[in-house]
Formats: sequence, C-alpha cells, structure tokens
Amino acid sequence: MSIVVQLLINSIIAGSIYALIASGFSLIYSVAKFMHFAHGAVVTVSAFILFFFAGMLKFPFWLSAILTIIFAALFGLLMNLLCYRPMRKRKATNAVLLIASLAMFILFQSLMIAVFGADIKTVRLGQISTGLNVFGGIITELQIIIVLVSVILLVLLWLFMKKTRLGKAMRAVADNKEVAQTVGINPEKIYNITFMIGSAIAGIAAVLIALEQNVEPNMGFSLIIKGFTGAIIGGIHMVPGAVLGSYLLGLVENFGIWFLPSGYKDAIAFVLLFIFLLIRPQGILGIKRGVNNK
Amino acid sequence: MILSIKDLAAGYGKFRVLEDVDITIKPDEIVALIGPNGAGKSTVLKSIFGLTTNYGGKIIYRDKNITKLNTSELVRLGISYVPQGRQVFSSLTVKENLEMGAFITDDKVLIKKKMKDVFAKFPVLKEKTNQYGFALSGGQQQMLAMGRALMQDPQLLLLDEPSLGLSPKLTKEIFQKIIDINKERTAVLIVEQNAKQAIKIAHRTYVLEDGKVALTGGKNIVNNPKIKSIYLGGR
Ligand SMILES: Nc1ncnc2c1ncn2[C@@H]1O[C@H](COP(=O)(O)OP(=O)(O)O)[C@@H](O)[C@H]1O
Ligand SMILES: [Mg+2]
Repeated sequence: MSIVVQLLINSIIAGSIYALIASGFSLIYSVAKFMHFAHGAVVTVSAFILFFFAGMLKFPFWLSAILTIIFAALFGLLMNLLCYRPMRKRKATNAVLLIASLAMFILFQSLMIAVFGADIKTVRLGQISTGLNVFGGIITELQIIIVLVSVILLVLLWLFMKKTRLGKAMRAVADNKEVAQTVGINPEKIYNITFMIGSAIAGIAAVLIALEQNVEPNMGFSLIIKGFTGAIIGGIHMVPGAVLGSYLLGLVENFGIWFLPSGYKDAIAFVLLFIFLLIRPQGILGIKRGVNNK
Repeated sequence: MILSIKDLAAGYGKFRVLEDVDITIKPDEIVALIGPNGAGKSTVLKSIFGLTTNYGGKIIYRDKNITKLNTSELVRLGISYVPQGRQVFSSLTVKENLEMGAFITDDKVLIKKKMKDVFAKFPVLKEKTNQYGFALSGGQQQMLAMGRALMQDPQLLLLDEPSLGLSPKLTKEIFQKIIDINKERTAVLIVEQNAKQAIKIAHRTYVLEDGKVALTGGKNIVNNPKIKSIYLGGR
C-alpha cells in the first residue's frame, strides 16, 4: 500500500514540475504558433542565475529567487525581440522559428558550460529535512512547496487568461491574429507579454528545480522534453490541456517503473509521446475544429 | 466627406492590385462596392484599414490623411472593419468577442452600455452570451462579427461581403441591420457579391474591375445596360 502512496506522491511532484514547464511552453505555442524549444534554455540559464546570486554572490535566497524570476521574464522577452521578431518580419515560417529556437537552446546551453563549467552545482535552502509521512509515503517540505506553488500558479494563470482584458486579448490573438488586429490589438505587443509570462513561470520552475535537484547545463533539455510531452498528451493548443498531460505523464512514468527497471523512465515518456503524435496529435483535450477555426 | 480615396495604388508587397482608385463617402451614406471575384474589392477595404502596401495616392478621413496609420490608430479614429467570411474568435464566448471589440477602451461602464446596444440590435446574440464562437450558426457568426465592430462605436463601418454563404432570408435580415446602423449616423462602405441587393440599400455604388473603378452612380445604376448584363443577369 505505502508503495502506491509513494508512487502517487512522486507522480504529483513530477507532474507539478512538468506542468510548470508545459504551461509556459504551450502558452507561447498557442499565442505565437510555433514551438519555442529554447524555453528549456530559459530554465537552465535561470537556474545558473540563481546559483550565481545565491551560491556565488551569497545574496539572500528570497532576493536571488526574485532576481532570477525577473531575469527569466526579460530573457524570454529578449529572445522574442532579438531573434523571433526580426525573423517574423521577414516572413519566416514556423518551421524556421522552431529551428532558430533549437539553435538558441544549444547556444545558451554551451554558454553555461563555458561560463560556469560542466560540473554539477547545488543550491540548498537550510537543512535537508527527512520529510513528512503522509499515509505511509514520504514527502519533504520543499516538495510540498513545489506542488503548492505549481497549483497556485496554474490557477492564477487560468484566472488571468479567463478574466482579465489582457488575458482575453492573448486568447484572441491565439484564436485569430488577423481579427485581433482589426479590433486594435497589436499582436507583437501580445507576443512580448506572452513570452514574459511564460518565461517567468519557467524561472519559477527553475528556482524550485534547482532546490530539489541540481543545477547543470543540460537540465533544461530533459525538462523541455517532458514539458513538451505533457503538452502533446493533454493538448498543446491550450494551457489546461498541457497541465493535465503533465500530471498524466508524471503518473505514467512513476507507476511505469513499478513494472519496468527505473532506467526506462525517460523511455516511457518518449513512447507516450510517439503514441499520441501518431494516434491523437491534438491531445486529450484538443478538439479538431472544423471550418470555423482559421 | 467622411472618407475620400484619391488616386490610390495599393497591393501586397510587390503585387499591385489597385490603380488610380477614387472613392468618396459622405457621413450619412451607404456606399456599395461591387465587381467580379478578384477585382480588388477586399483590397480596397484593407487599404483603408492599413493592411496593404500603398504605393501612391491618399486616403483622407475627416480631413486627416490616414494613409500611413496602423489599425489600432484607425480604430481609435472611428473606423471599424468586418473582414470577409464571418470571422469571429471561435474559442471565445459571445460576450468575450464583444468585449474584445471594445479592446481600445477599458471604461467598463462604456463597454456595458455598448454591449447593451449591440444586444438590442442583435437579440439572438444576447441569448447566446456565454456560448463559444464556434458553436454559433453562420448567420449568428456574421451578426457577432458586426456586433463586435459596433462595440467600437464606428463612424465609418467597412463590411466585406456580409451576406456570403447566408440564406436569402438571413441576407435580408443582415441588410436591414445595415440600413438601421446607417440611420444611426454611421457611414457604411459595403463590398458585395450580391450586387442587386447591395445597389438597393446603397445610396451610391462603385463598380470595380481589374483594380480600377469602372463605373459609378446612384440607385439608377441598375438601369445601366452593362450592369444589367454582367451583374444582374441570371440572378
Ligand atoms: N494577402 C494577399 N497577398 C497577395 N495577394 C493577394 C492577397 N489578398 C488578395 N490578393 C490578390 O489581390 C487580388 C484582389 O483580391 P481581392 O481584393 O481579395 O479581390 P475581391 O475581394 O474583389 O474578390 C487577387 O488577385 C488576389 O489574388
Ligand atoms: Mg473579397
């Protein structure tokens, strides 16, 4: 019994982390209509920035975390302004933007190795606690915080998209950019805001992951693969779908290693990704829209 | 004149569509723009709304040269554009669609009032307030697209083929709404395939052929032999 509880707890923790990555990734995808894989680099670089402030400069942790999140938002904004926007102006296709995003990913990952070295860094907050016993499973305080922050952020994001004028404008551009323009919405401004919000969430994820795991140059790669898989499973066009898919991925991965050696954990994600891309590319929540959707 | 287009040449990038186009609209007029497919009718509306490349000529709106303004500036000046093909935000509700129509203002009281006006004009939209755009019928989507434009309180309304794909009954209904909108002091420039009906509701009509104005006149343009043979024959 307790192993089931433990696997469930592990699934929720993993799902929460994947959901933070996937929500920003699918938010940007739904509005700007291309796969911004360099979102993974935002996570990596932000984690190193946290290490720089908290570990090297010995700033207080809360200050380092805030600076990291601000950095992440600006980093995403600059990627859009300096790379994607000029390419869009020259009528680059979404495939070209995707390739540019992969190039930026590799560039910034290499840059982190060049600046900080390839070895593993750690950022720790206080003593490592032994964890709490919940129905026979163990969960640490930090892990509880990860789950809570993730859930609260996702609810806030949902409310923002549903209730605010800006959130609705983002959905309007995601839905039909040309019509959005006719009502006086400037899509480029909306892209900027979308990149900032999505990247800020990635920055928050980076802070939590840096505390829970380690800071290393290739951390963003496996994370963006998981976030991407979660987004595809649930439906990349909509943030709630991406969140659902992320938690499902967490469940399948963690319960999968009950039957399979734990080395297969990442393989499970890929198998799931392939299955969905083949059979239901629009994801669980995604609907194949008819003629109305242009 | 609320709008005068003078010697306009416009197109898309290097692809020129319009040459020497002159069109004027008075503040209380409905002006129809008819012509064969591909003549450049939609391009005329897009050029007014700043969505084309303009090579020469001028577009004057209430004594102001608006040729180089962007869409959000034009909306603020009171020009609204309803593109061809019942374009609504399909994943937004009817209410959200209308709210987005008023994007340029954040005055909640004004938005509420405007929405009430739109619901009064299109009662069917009120019944569907919380339905998503994709769940509406074609006629309802066209009304939503027009309602969204009316949220901006336009002085000049640009309509691109509002009757496209609608039944004769719905077409009649939409045309009646256009007359009503015009009576409330909104100038209307309407592009139509449905030439007969368009000429009927318009004060004046322009015929566009191959990117140029081929003919213009008042309601009696229906008696022009050329119009009769090309646009009204068989319909
Ligand atoms: N976005 C565009 N880019 C390039 N060419 C276009 C574009 N839209 C329309 N055209 C071309 O401009 C010409 C006029 O089109 P349009 O104004 O849509 O005609 P109409 O509305 O009278 O049917 C056509 O040859 C069409 O192919
Ligand atoms: Mg047209």
